[in-house]
Amino acid sequence: MRDTLMACEAAAHDGGFTPGLELALRTVDTAVPPGRVTALPADRVPAGAVVVPHRLAALEGVAFVTSAPAGPEPAHAQGDHRTVFAALLGAVRVGVSRRLLDDAVAHLSGRAAGGEPLIRKQLVLGTVADVITALDAVRQLLCVAHRVPRAVTDAHDRITALDWDTAKLFGASGFLADGPVRGAYVGRLAADCWTDREDVQP
Amino acid sequence: MIPLDTPLRELREQCREAGAELRAHALAVDADPAGTAHLDLPILALVRSASTPKDFRTDSAVDDGGYSDSCLSRVVAGVELARGDAGVLCANTGPSLAGVAVDTLGSPEQRELFYETIADGRAWTFFGMTEPAHGSDATAMESRLDAAGDPADGYLLSGTKRYVGNASRGAIGVVFARTGRTPLSIRGALIRQPAPGFHGEPLDMIGLRGARICRLAMDEVPVPREMLLGAHLPASRRGLWGISRTFNAMRLQIAALALGTALGTRDYVVEQRPNWSGHEVMSARLDAATALLYESAAAVDLQPDAVRPPSTAKLHITDLAVRTSRWAARALGPGALLEHPLLEKWSRDVLAFEFMDGTSNIQRLHITHDLSSRKVRT
Repeated sequence: MRDTLMACEAAAHDGGFTPGLELALRTVDTAVPPGRVTALPADRVPAGAVVVPHRLAALEGVAFVTSAPAGPEPAHAQGDHRTVFAALLGAVRVGVSRRLLDDAVAHLSGRAAGGEPLIRKQLVLGTVADVITALDAVRQLLCVAHRVPRAVTDAHDRITALDWDTAKLFGASGFLADGPVRGAYVGRLAADCWTDREDVQP
Repeated sequence: MIPLDTPLRELREQCREAGAELRAHALAVDADPAGTAHLDLPILALVRSASTPKDFRTDSAVDDGGYSDSCLSRVVAGVELARGDAGVLCANTGPSLAGVAVDTLGSPEQRELFYETIADGRAWTFFGMTEPAHGSDATAMESRLDAAGDPADGYLLSGTKRYVGNASRGAIGVVFARTGRTPLSIRGALIRQPAPGFHGEPLDMIGLRGARICRLAMDEVPVPREMLLGAHLPASRRGLWGISRTFNAMRLQIAALALGTALGTRDYVVEQRPNWSGHEVMSARLDAATALLYESAAAVDLQPDAVRPPSTAKLHITDLAVRTSRWAARALGPGALLEHPLLEKWSRDVLAFEFMDGTSNIQRLHITHDLSSRKVRT
């Protein structure tokens, strides 16, 4: 499983969220999400499927569709498939997060304040170091607990928070719809379709 | 929480009620930020009037409920209106950030020109400060006000700006640039559109699309001498001081927009999950943030140049608003953001407040500025 997770991460790191999602779907294509909506690469949407309109997702090449009802598999098997797929999606998001951080570092290296590149500022370096460290930890979490629903949900929550920490490093350019943050945001929307929880913490 | 007097409580209730009118237009403005149907809303007309100084209102009999009396009253109103929808509020015409700058740096004649230009209620304004290479670091500003060939012709404005709300459609606004190399040479210029060499173009942003954020290109835009702000002020108060004071006031308004959006998000969750007690901790945090914001606004009313209170409020509340949007998505279950378009829109909108009037790291520097200059204790 570790190799599969790493492959999903690599696909997203190299090509963005959509190629990563495509690989995850090829690996576990029978999982059914806990809610009514799921994410698909736009070119995988079946004829007649109901698509939830979303501008940023469309720009990213992703469509959110109302999902098909659960198949005849036993509920416990479906739950296991679901968690494994959510873990693969987590790995995809780790790849997107690393890609986002690469872009952020490049952005910060090209800007200066007070005559010093932003990438050398202590506040900035602290954030970059924390994100690198936390992404390593999330990757390990997905490897060791990819069949544990709460752990996978926790991984997604942490990725969402880390992506925001990284997005802030771009300043206002991180808020452009054609910028690198878009893939992370669409990834978050996709993850929300695959994570369920009984205990909602603030 | 500092107690609100009766007029302020009434203002809060009126604005809370009016927020519902804004919400009805929220998704339409997000889908088509160039639309203008929302401008006919009575509450937006009232906000335009209330945010215009009393001397320049077209209808001096308008009762603004005390909105314009203090920083605290504007914050109280701003929170409740944004609780309806901050995007529609930002899509309103009126003086906005440029008005604060003109009131701070403008002569009576300049203020008159500014408010006359927007008196019909259909005109947006713009405030050009941030630059592509340097963000909002005013000391590194590259845009120039070069003396025209004939000094009697004033200046020629050249440079580029980014993330300027309504620059593509604003009738008048303020653009900051430098007349020389020193910090004191940074000046604000009043610009009326259309102007030769001046071009604003909307940027496609992730959220808060009603703000119509633009890039701005300026190539030798003529600026008559009388359009330069601050000539009647001491040299030290003509440029950076005005920027700082403008941002100080607006930082609280941005925090108010963020808090209003977070409260609206919490309200939405409570509506969807009646009798669910899982919102109690989040609700308590939002109440505490309201208290923090009110106290910060009251502090600025006492001391307009106080930097720490607005920065503290903005730093905390923009973060809390983002956390609230994540909590709401979790609270409403799998796929909630796609099944509840308003919630999804607000989850994008809250991200914008981070970038307006200084990022979190800039606020951190403001908050600790006086600490870093203290002498080491021996």
